[in-house]
Amino acid sequence: MQNHILQKKEQKLAILLLFPSFLILLLVAVYPLFTVFQTSITNKTFASSSQISYIGLDNYTKLLALKIVELDPVFDEEGNPEINELTGKRVYENPTKVLPRKPNRYKEISQFDIFGHHFVFAGTDPDFILSVKDTVFFTLLSVFFETIFGMAIALIMVQNFPGRGGLRVAMLVPWAIPTAVSSRMWEWMFASTRVGIINVIGQFLRWTNGQFSFLTTPSTQLLSIIVIDIWKTTPFMALLLMAGLQTIPPSIYEAAEIDGCSAFHRFWKITLPLVKNTLVVALIFRTLDSLRVFDLFQIVFGQKRYSMSSFSYYQLINNKAMGYSSASSVLIFIIILLFIVLYSRISGGIGDEK
Amino acid sequence: MRNKQSKIGKIAFWIIVSVMFIYLVFPFYWAINSSFKTEFQLMMTPATFLPLDPVTHRLSFSLINYQGVFKNPDFMRGIKNSALVACSVTLICLVVGSFAAFALGKLKFRGKKASLYLILSMTMFPQISVLTGLYALMNQFHVNPMLSMIFSYMIFTLPFTIWVMTSFFKGIPNSLFEAAKVDGATSFQSFRIILIPLAIPAMVTTGLLAFIAAWNEYLFALTFTSIDTTARTVPVVMAMFSGTISRQEPFGEIMAASIVVTIPLLILIYFFQRRLIEGLTAGAVKG
Repeated sequence: MQNHILQKKEQKLAILLLFPSFLILLLVAVYPLFTVFQTSITNKTFASSSQISYIGLDNYTKLLALKIVELDPVFDEEGNPEINELTGKRVYENPTKVLPRKPNRYKEISQFDIFGHHFVFAGTDPDFILSVKDTVFFTLLSVFFETIFGMAIALIMVQNFPGRGGLRVAMLVPWAIPTAVSSRMWEWMFASTRVGIINVIGQFLRWTNGQFSFLTTPSTQLLSIIVIDIWKTTPFMALLLMAGLQTIPPSIYEAAEIDGCSAFHRFWKITLPLVKNTLVVALIFRTLDSLRVFDLFQIVFGQKRYSMSSFSYYQLINNKAMGYSSASSVLIFIIILLFIVLYSRISGGIGDEK
Repeated sequence: MRNKQSKIGKIAFWIIVSVMFIYLVFPFYWAINSSFKTEFQLMMTPATFLPLDPVTHRLSFSLINYQGVFKNPDFMRGIKNSALVACSVTLICLVVGSFAAFALGKLKFRGKKASLYLILSMTMFPQISVLTGLYALMNQFHVNPMLSMIFSYMIFTLPFTIWVMTSFFKGIPNSLFEAAKVDGATSFQSFRIILIPLAIPAMVTTGLLAFIAAWNEYLFALTFTSIDTTARTVPVVMAMFSGTISRQEPFGEIMAASIVVTIPLLILIYFFQRRLIEGLTAGAVKG
């Protein structure tokens, strides 16, 4: 009886103690998420008095509509295929002629050839499609390198050597400073003339002519910010992996060494399987974080090139298109969810040891 | 033979360590170097590794960028705003979060597992997906930007705080707790008198992490201060830095400001490195 009363008391206390946290989270996360879903099927614009109407999935179709259309080659008066004099390639008809205009105009994303036929790949919002492509590319590449570098650093940091403490502080700094600050620091290093150190080094090594603008040339834009991101987040990866490595008892290594295992073998057969769980968690953290990248893209590229998040941001703040921005947010949410499912499939269930 | 091999191994090891160190530290070195250069020195090609006089090529440090930064009203206000926002977030998080963590870590009640999973899934919540909703909410109720930031930062700081604190509370032996009960203390009393003092180290760790996360946040800060620019925090000011001295993009001042922002963090890291690493990795290794 006494016990029963105590239990009831505990239940009451628990609810009381949890209440403020859940109230806050409900207010700042659950409710806004719900309104975002709701707004995403309207044509709501911010700070306007126009009537809000439900437009179903129109926002989503505008974001996602894609089309591939074959382009016919252009012939001159004599019936010969026209050749571009500069590139020496065939000239094809203008994609805007063949792409549908209603209800939303399709715009070219890229052109490509398959089996001698020429195609145009188009969408109704190329900016969004490219932002998804860029963000996924950014994520895959930067998480890949972070994992490799992070593992290398972690393996070194668990050794005992003088100066380890100093290195540990050096590792925490890139992680701790605001991305806004590190973006500006790197922007200066990437300056497009030899006032930027990377162009100085590039010229010294004869990679560039000392005038290369890494951040505005389309082919190097993404790679440059991947370099920045790797610098900023490798330490975090390394710290997580270090913590995982430290849980491995040294006696296992000693036994393996006595058995004559090579260092590579020891890493492959002992270290990797034993840090697998930590590695998966670290990969998930980093992938999710990277998929929602905003600071780097927004600061370095502004509206020249979007990540998924910065696309959504500009739709909201610059275009005041709340409905449209919400729809893109929902898509980001879904893409991130897909990655979580993918990871948990690959790793055979997260946290199954709990 | 073996000796020689280990010597080569040692040299290779140190080379790797030095490369790592340079890679991590070089951007800071470069920022410090640039922050001491005048605008004219910054435009020298090729860029010099130390601030040199353009004519005599002797060392010549200039403090003009730092003077500019400290006279920059936007930057100084940004520091104040950031401090206010980050401190409030940390405080609210610790109080509210430790209540919840105590319940989840030490009390028996129905719905505990579900609550735990909910909190855990919230730690992975993508902030961008609530941006429009929050922005509309804050505008609808005319919440000022500072308060908007403080509340919205709970999305990422609170679940994490609860998660780490819960695992900490779980680790405290129940016997302590039961002894207090036998002595007639209520659950809440034993929380206040026994657990809180024990939990101070964990609170320092999670508090620091919450503080750093709030100090660095950019997306919400940028969005909520898009109209009221006086509420801008340091990251937003840094991103939109306009100089007081230079007319073009004032990279000398930006670098000086970067260093000014980094130094307090460096001090925090130096004193709390072990705690920070523990807190950061707590979720990953145990979770």
